[in-house]
Amino acid sequence: MNITVGVADMKVSKDPNAVLVTYSLGSCIGIAIYDPVVKVGGLLHYMLPDSSLDPDKAKVKPYMFADSGIAPLFLEAYKLGAKKQRMKVIVAGGAQILDQQGFFNIGKRNHMAMRKIFWKNKVMVSHEDVGGNVNRTIKLSVGDGSCRLKVSGKGEYEV
Amino acid sequence: MKKDIGAIIGQIDTLRPIPQVAHKIMAAAKDPQSSMAAISDLIQYDQSLTANLLRAANSAYFGLSKKVESLHQAVVYLGTDKVVDLVLLGASSENFSMGQKGYDLEGGDLWRYSVSSALIARDLAEVTGGCDVHTVFTSGLLKDIGKVVLSQFVADSSEKINFLVSNHEFSFREAEKAVIGIDHAELGALIAKKWKFSDRMIDLIRHHHAPMEAESEMEASLVYLADILCMMIGIGVGSDGLAYRFHKEALEKTGFDDKDLQSIIAGFGEKISHVEELIGT
Repeated sequence: MNITVGVADMKVSKDPNAVLVTYSLGSCIGIAIYDPVVKVGGLLHYMLPDSSLDPDKAKVKPYMFADSGIAPLFLEAYKLGAKKQRMKVIVAGGAQILDQQGFFNIGKRNHMAMRKIFWKNKVMVSHEDVGGNVNRTIKLSVGDGSCRLKVSGKGEYEV
Repeated sequence: MKKDIGAIIGQIDTLRPIPQVAHKIMAAAKDPQSSMAAISDLIQYDQSLTANLLRAANSAYFGLSKKVESLHQAVVYLGTDKVVDLVLLGASSENFSMGQKGYDLEGGDLWRYSVSSALIARDLAEVTGGCDVHTVFTSGLLKDIGKVVLSQFVADSSEKINFLVSNHEFSFREAEKAVIGIDHAELGALIAKKWKFSDRMIDLIRHHHAPMEAESEMEASLVYLADILCMMIGIGVGSDGLAYRFHKEALEKTGFDDKDLQSIIAGFGEKISHVEELIGT
């Protein structure tokens, strides 16, 4: 059963039949997490690096921003029994338009914001497919933790 | 080996042209002498336009507290400008409903993308002021019509196109041109010409990836910025991904800075789920 994680959205699940999916990540970033011991998975799709842009919006839509969205992804998974040290973490997205270096490069900044938060919180990334000019889809099967990434123009592969 | 361009252009006839009434409504909306009553007259005698309009007006996208039951109420609650846009939206959807295999787009994806970029283009045009909002909206909506026809030719050449994009730093549009001999923006302009769109709209569709080459540079920059914002947000994006060039001239021309555009992204992110309802998927 596919559970779609929309733009600026997050879902966690321990339903073994659930597949968490987020489509069409451009400069947005998708973070999939999975604890293989308790078989709990989570998926976040955030759009922008920093909630200081609009703190009121971040209260209503915390998953829109890296700094307000990443912590609740992990906290909700912990509530279902997941532990950080066992977690597999897969990251995709953060693409950019050609020649965008230095100008309005949200993809890169989204990635940097995540790296900073992960570094502070000692989160290790297991697999990363970020940057470039492609868009990406993440599918995480909660039953066995298998994760597939679809990359535009390049096809789909299992992480 | 380039394709026979004549054969590609011949495929334009497989599209269904935008209905005449939509052209009349667009012309009336631009004419300062024209009243809303005159525009309403054009709309109300077309049942399907009116039905589409009421469905869209009642969608969560607009968040109206009262149910809109007539054209008159739609005008009162939404204003003439938005009503005209919604009519154009209803009149344009047909050609976009199928999938475009060449761009790896499922049915409805290109329409979702087109409506989203038209709505963002409208938001940008309203902030900028002083330009023709309907033309910007409609150009945002129809700028990728060339993809509908070019899709099968892109599918036939996808390996070569992807090779140029992945290995030789071509933009997807440059690769279309190099491999097929025509790109979707050029082809879109030919379609717009055949459908007797205004010269300005042909210009905007032709230059939606290169706004500084357009005669209406301001409007073209707005359509262009809306397009790249949609690619970045990722709504109905296909195998071409984000492989289009960034032109900082569009920011200079419009005066938008980084924070303005981030706010537009955040604003659109808030109402993105309502777009599905607006377009009736």
